[in-house]
Amino acid sequence: MLPRAPKYGANELPSRRAPATSRARTDGPGKAILVLEDVYKYFRRDIPTLRAINLSVERGEFVYVTGPSGSGKSTLLQLVYRLHTVDGGRILFSGRDISRLTDASVPFLRRNLGVVFQDFKLVPHWTVFENVAVTLEILDTPQKLLRGRVAETLERVGLAGRGSERVEHLSGGEQQRVAIGRAIVAEPALLLADEPTGNLDPALAFDILTLFEEINEAGTTVIFATHDHSLLSSSPHRLVVIDDGHLIEASQGLRAWSARTQLSA
Amino acid sequence: MDIMSALSRAKRGLRDDLRMHLLAIASLTVAFLCLGAALLSVTNLSRIADRWGGTQHLTVYLKDHATASDVAQLRLVLESLQEAREVRHVTADQARRDFAAQTNMTLQGAALSPDAFPASFEIALRDHVTPERIARIASSVQHFTAVDEVETYHDWFAQMGTLLRAGKSAVAMLAMLVVVCVLAIIGNGIRLAVANRRREIEVLKLCGATDAFVRSPFVVEGTLQAVIAAAVAVFMLLLAYAAVRGEIASTLSAITGVQPVFLHPLVALGMILGGGMVGAIGSTLSLRRYLKV
Repeated sequence: MLPRAPKYGANELPSRRAPATSRARTDGPGKAILVLEDVYKYFRRDIPTLRAINLSVERGEFVYVTGPSGSGKSTLLQLVYRLHTVDGGRILFSGRDISRLTDASVPFLRRNLGVVFQDFKLVPHWTVFENVAVTLEILDTPQKLLRGRVAETLERVGLAGRGSERVEHLSGGEQQRVAIGRAIVAEPALLLADEPTGNLDPALAFDILTLFEEINEAGTTVIFATHDHSLLSSSPHRLVVIDDGHLIEASQGLRAWSARTQLSA
Repeated sequence: MDIMSALSRAKRGLRDDLRMHLLAIASLTVAFLCLGAALLSVTNLSRIADRWGGTQHLTVYLKDHATASDVAQLRLVLESLQEAREVRHVTADQARRDFAAQTNMTLQGAALSPDAFPASFEIALRDHVTPERIARIASSVQHFTAVDEVETYHDWFAQMGTLLRAGKSAVAMLAMLVVVCVLAIIGNGIRLAVANRRREIEVLKLCGATDAFVRSPFVVEGTLQAVIAAAVAVFMLLLAYAAVRGEIASTLSAITGVQPVFLHPLVALGMILGGGMVGAIGSTLSLRRYLKV
């Protein structure tokens, strides 16, 4: 019997991002921010989309999640930000089982996560400032502090001085920067990126990846889902592969998965 | 949840869907205007009823050629009545002056002859005198030689009471109709706003907004729409009243003896605040139906 999930309250949230000076790895091994234990997810009764997924992500880590389209990468992330619930196993975020959170507690979980989507999910008729500030508005941040934090974030994502522009007038790469700004402005403990470069050309994709790496350098844990091998080839970060619902660590899995995809090709 | 944040986001919503909100406010204004006009009618009808019904009285009209001794004898009898609180002799000339004062006419302008109105005794009765007793008094007084006619106002009061009851019923029904209209208009507005702002709602939820946070600007918008519409309706009614008051005041006063009045400030305020409350309830109910967050 799993323990009942604690209900997150506004004043008892998991700690936000570690200070920039204390990188996650300095917390020492075993300081996992996210743990998936034997997680199953079914969208069809007979075929699990995810099966027996076990994954531990330490604070400050940068983890790529890759695999073919439809393999379950997005589903894995969606379970973490509770768009769906697990059908088996459990997910621990900062030591708390989020898979059994009540619906009323889900918003308080999401306030500790930053999520970046392939389709950006911006409000097109809002300005850049409004799209980024929305995260802080939800947290009831005082206006003065909010303005300062948004300006600082826009500078981080390369959009300094463009707060008044409407998002619908920006290029795809710029829109994704706005989405990243929105995800990081509240300094979340964990940043989830679901195919964030899927709609961008290769040059822009590398720019965006670099931005994520800079964010990770500053101490934020990043889980980056992509099926773009060109992004992974030169990257030193940890890599996990999801294939046919199974998760494989890259040291063994990537080779096996690559070999299999080449054979099937 | 911060009310300022809700107001700020409602302001953004009003800005983004300005045309839709203006249309809703225009529709709501028409509904509140109907309610306000009905309330204004009932207010003035009530004043007339109060004016004539509040102090029960009899008017004993005298014959034109009644002798002074007959009139004096009649006065003694009337003053001896236990039910009479006050007996006032109104001469023909006094009646003419009263009429001119009530209708804001000069005596010359009125061009009324001195004997245009009959002399009379105005008898104010004590409280709780029954209509049957009033009818018996009238019947007795009618036999005096100086008396031409006795007016008990019974039929007039009965008609006025019926009219007033009908007016109040009409206002009650109209108020219910207005509530239904407000709920329907606000409901439709919310449904359209939710559809227009589907992406915004999704983003808010993904960023960790609670249901209350997502819903609050919609409730504020619905409340504001109703408050603005009710306030505009009261203002328009006031303008219309001011425009026609001069025309109808003297006529109404001549017929009823009562000057027309506008809605009491508390009634106007109640209409605005009540409108806001119905708007808030309408928004909340619609959000339960259309906004599954």
